[in-house]
Order: sequence, then C-alpha cells, then structure tokens
Amino acid sequence: MKKFLLLLLLVISPVKAEIYDISQLDLKSHQGKVVYLDFWASWCKPCRKSFPWMNSLVTRYPADRFTIITINLDAETEAMNHFLGKVPANFDIYHDPSGKIAEQFELEGMPTSYLIDSNGKVVKKHIGFYTKKVDQYEREIEELL
Amino acid sequence: MQLGKKKIAGLLSAATCSLLANPVQAEEHDWDIDSAVLYYSEDDDRVDAFEPVISGKKDLGDEESLSFKLVLDNLTGASATGAVPSTQVKTSTRPSGNGTYTVDPNDTPLDDTFKDTRVAFGMTWEKPIDRNNRRTLGFNVSGEYDFASASANALWAHDTNQKNTTYTAGINVEYDYIDPVGGAPEGLTSMDAQDKNDTDDRTIVDLLFGITQVIDKTSLFQVNLSLSESSGYLTDPYKLVSIVDNTTGEPVDQLFENRPDSRSRQSLFGKYKKMFANKDIFTASYRYMTDDWGIDSSTFDFTYRFKFNKGYFIQPHLRWYTQTEADFYTYFLREDERVPGDASADYRLGDMDATTYGFKFGREFNDRHVWSVRLERYEQSGDSSPSEAFGQLDQQDLYPDIKATIVQLSYSFQW
Amino acid sequence: MTVKYHWLILCAILGASGCSSLGVKPWERYELARDDMLMDSDPVDLALDEHIYFSKEASSGGQGFAGGGCGCN
Repeated sequence: MKKFLLLLLLVISPVKAEIYDISQLDLKSHQGKVVYLDFWASWCKPCRKSFPWMNSLVTRYPADRFTIITINLDAETEAMNHFLGKVPANFDIYHDPSGKIAEQFELEGMPTSYLIDSNGKVVKKHIGFYTKKVDQYEREIEELL
Repeated sequence: MQLGKKKIAGLLSAATCSLLANPVQAEEHDWDIDSAVLYYSEDDDRVDAFEPVISGKKDLGDEESLSFKLVLDNLTGASATGAVPSTQVKTSTRPSGNGTYTVDPNDTPLDDTFKDTRVAFGMTWEKPIDRNNRRTLGFNVSGEYDFASASANALWAHDTNQKNTTYTAGINVEYDYIDPVGGAPEGLTSMDAQDKNDTDDRTIVDLLFGITQVIDKTSLFQVNLSLSESSGYLTDPYKLVSIVDNTTGEPVDQLFENRPDSRSRQSLFGKYKKMFANKDIFTASYRYMTDDWGIDSSTFDFTYRFKFNKGYFIQPHLRWYTQTEADFYTYFLREDERVPGDASADYRLGDMDATTYGFKFGREFNDRHVWSVRLERYEQSGDSSPSEAFGQLDQQDLYPDIKATIVQLSYSFQW
Repeated sequence: MTVKYHWLILCAILGASGCSSLGVKPWERYELARDDMLMDSDPVDLALDEHIYFSKEASSGGQGFAGGGCGCN
C-alpha cells in the first residue's frame, strides 16, 4: 500500500525543474552518466523551441544513465522565471546571469549544447538548435548509452 | 489504509491531466501579423489617401520564414499640374483629355484625374544557407487603373565576428507599365493638341550593399550604399509646364512635361539605435542621395521612445528633408525661350524642404501584441517667389506649401 | 568609451576589418533581441512612410534590414 501511494504521489506531482545558482554546479558529480549540457536564455527563440524536445529526453532515457543539465544565461531573473512559468522544464537549471561559465566555455552562439560521456569527456558540441536535426541529436545520445 | 475506488479514480485522472499538461508543445505561435490603417490628408482639398495594410510572417522552423504583405491605397483629391496660376479664370482640358476643368484667378491649377485605387501585394522567403549566411527572395506586384508594376528581389546576408557584423548585398529589379488616361503624351507638345501615344514602360534596377554592426549590449548601427538605374518612360503623363507671355507673365500655353529617359541614383544611408538604462530607445538616421538629374537630398530622421509601466510608450518623431532641384526643373518657360529637351515644373523635382513632426503612442503586451496610434504633420515648402518671376508671376505663389496630416492606427499580434 | 567611438567612425568609413573590436558575446544579446531594438522595428510604419515620401519627394529607399537582433542559431 505504501509503495502504491508513493507511486501515485510521483505520478501526481510532475518532475519540475530546480533552479540553482551557477556556483552550485558540479559536473564531476555527474560522472558515470551521459550528460547533455545546454546553454540557453529566454530571449533566444531556438532555445525556446528546444525545450519540448529536452523535456521528452528526460522521460525517454533512464535517469540513472542520462541527465540533462542546463545553464540559463538570462541577465534578468524575471525574464527567466516568466519563461519557465509558460514553458516548464523537467530538468535542472543553473542560473548564470553574469555569463561567467559561458565565458569559460567560450560559447560561440546561442544556444550551445555539449554531449558529455560517462567518463566526463566532451564528445559533441552543437551551436544552435535545429528541429530537423533532432534525429541526429538523439542518435548521438543513444550511441553513448 | 484503504482508499475508496472513487478516490483512486479521481487521483488517477488528476495525475493524467497533469502529465498531459506538462507541455509537449512550446507556446510558440507561428504567425507574426502586423495590421495598420493610414489616413493621409493634405490641407486645401488636395490629396487624401486611405491605406489599409496587412502583413504576416510565418515561422517555418530553423530560421526559415515566409512573409506576405497586402496594401490597398485609395487616393482622392487633386494634385498641382505644374502650370502657373493666372490673374484670369482659365478653363482648360484635363491633361488626360477627359473633360475640362476651371481654375479660378490666382489659384494653383490642380488636376484630379488620378482618383485612384492601388493594390499592392508582395511575398518574401528567407532561408539560412548555413549558420552565418542567409538568403532572401521576394517579389512584389501592384496595379492601379493606369499603372502596373512587378518586381523581384534577392538578398544575401553574411555574419562574421560571432554575428556582431552582418554584411548584406541585394538586388531589386522592377518593371513598370504605364497606361495613362488618354494615352502617354508626346513630351513638350502643347496639351491642347493632345498628341499622344498609347502606353509606355520603364525598368529600374537597384543594388544595395550594407553593413550592420553591433556596438555594445545596447546599441548598433547600419550603413548602406544603394545604386539605382532607371530607364524608359520616367515622365509624369499628367504634369504640365506653362509657356508665359514675355511681358505680362500670363500663361499662354501649356506643354506636357518631359524628363530624361534614364536616371542614375546613388545614396548613402546610416542608422543608429541606442537603448538607455531605463529601456528608452533612441533612433537616428541620415540618408544622402544624389543623381544625374542634378538632385541632391538629405534626410534626417530621429525618434525617441519613452517607455512607461505596463508596456505603454510614447515616441516623438522628427524628420527633416531637403532637396535641390533637377537640372531640367523650371517654374515656367518664356514664350521667347527655346523649348529645352527636358523640362518639368513638377514640385516634386524642385528645391524644397520638408519637415515631419509628430508622435506615436501605444502599448506593448507581454505576449508581444502591440497597438499604437501615430499622429504626424508633414509640411513641405519651396521658393514661392523665385527671382525669375516677372509680371503677374510676381504676385503668384509659384511653389505652394504642402501641408498634410497623417494618422495611423496599428495592431500587431501573434497567431 | 572614446576609443570605441573612434572605431565606430572608422568602421562607418572603411566598413571592414575595423569592426572586429566592437560587439558583444553571444549570451549578451538580450536587449538587442527585443522587437523594438531591431533595425526594422516598425516595418509597417517604414513602408507607409516610404510610400508617402516617394509620392511627394524625389528620393526613395536606401534602407536595409538585416543584422542585429538575437543572433541565435
């Protein structure tokens, strides 16, 4: 009965995004899993378009072997919150309003995504999000799983 | 603890709803629609125009888009023919040959033959070639009862410096078909003779080269160079040049005007946009134009958008325009003068200044729909008493001011 | 600030490599991405005005619209 109730609770309360400050990001702690690291902002239209797809990845790939970590670069927190209110995320978001981490990664465009294998090595980098390339993105993830 | 069957069913349906509500669709609307209606009204019963316009842009995904624009243009009223006023009542045939009109003493001769409805439609297709290159293709067609036009355009945009610098190169080719009421007149022949051909045409080719440069997080500028070549029938079939008596300055005859059959234009345009800390936006632009008809012009344009709470804004606007006259522009021809190869008394080719002042106010909502109202005045003036005037021409206004009121209502939304 | 503006004038005249020192990082374009910061922020106004001035004056055109904006993808 307890297990049944727990399951019901998990189903009723959908997994919602946690928003952390960027200082709390520790990529090393995710070693052992394939990581899809995505840099986005609310004012970036292709970023907005990638959300439904990223949300679907969370449900499709096992949480013990794959995780999505996103870094939001909105300088204005209100803009980020307003966007997430309209388009909720099922993955964790680290807020980097000053762009420090983006600077470290030497980001060349918005959005940018990195595919990191379970050993912590960056395997793929994509500048931009294209709906017609979604199959390719998924194949790349599946190859690592 | 036992849960009743109804409660389980209720919880399960609530759970299903929340799962479905987890958006699989992002809240993006495909269409950006801009609609507006413009009223333009000149003082003194001159031209009135009513112009509804609708344009839409559809996002086809991955930076590809398709746009369309439809404009309806209703013109009524009258425009100056270019003939000089007289101290006597003048009754003459309309330049089109369609009936006559009477001009009261000391009034500027006007012609209203062009009561007109124009329809214009265009489409544009923009698609990326790769991350840093885009191409745009488009066409436009327009028609009114005495004029039809078709054009095609292509543009290439190239980004460098992490998209801080964008180079553009474009070409526009236009073909115009002119079928004036009563036929296209033989230039510089007497209007009364109504010596006319049927129709005529012209071709215009424009090249555009531009650079857009981001300066910092809140400002950017653009510089464009345009080259334009027109050839064919460039004359206005309804405009006249008066022949005046050598002594009295009274008009004794009217000739149809004639312009050269080619025109070469170059213009340099610069625009700067800056957002301030309070989110107000300042825009300034300047355009210099010169051509082989002897016309040089400068256009200065300034707007400042004041932003208020809840998306309200007020944007004052100031535009100042000045041009020098065409080489073949003349207020009138003397009876004892040899008629030149080209001559036009059309005020649009004369020495003049024009000022536009006004403002736009409106409200922008979070979902990007905006309504706005624009109210402006346009005032154009030239030399009403040029030194070459003599006789009765000294007491006439040979370059009447044109003053107009502009009202525009706009509504933009996503769909 | 003054050094930046020297580059600006040089850019406008030469139009080429001088521009590489100006600009922002890809994640700093949040203000430039706004509708009212686009070069063609009011395309309908522009087109209607073009039509009025084309029929009352001897000059037309000259404006472009590409560049600026979000800079995404």
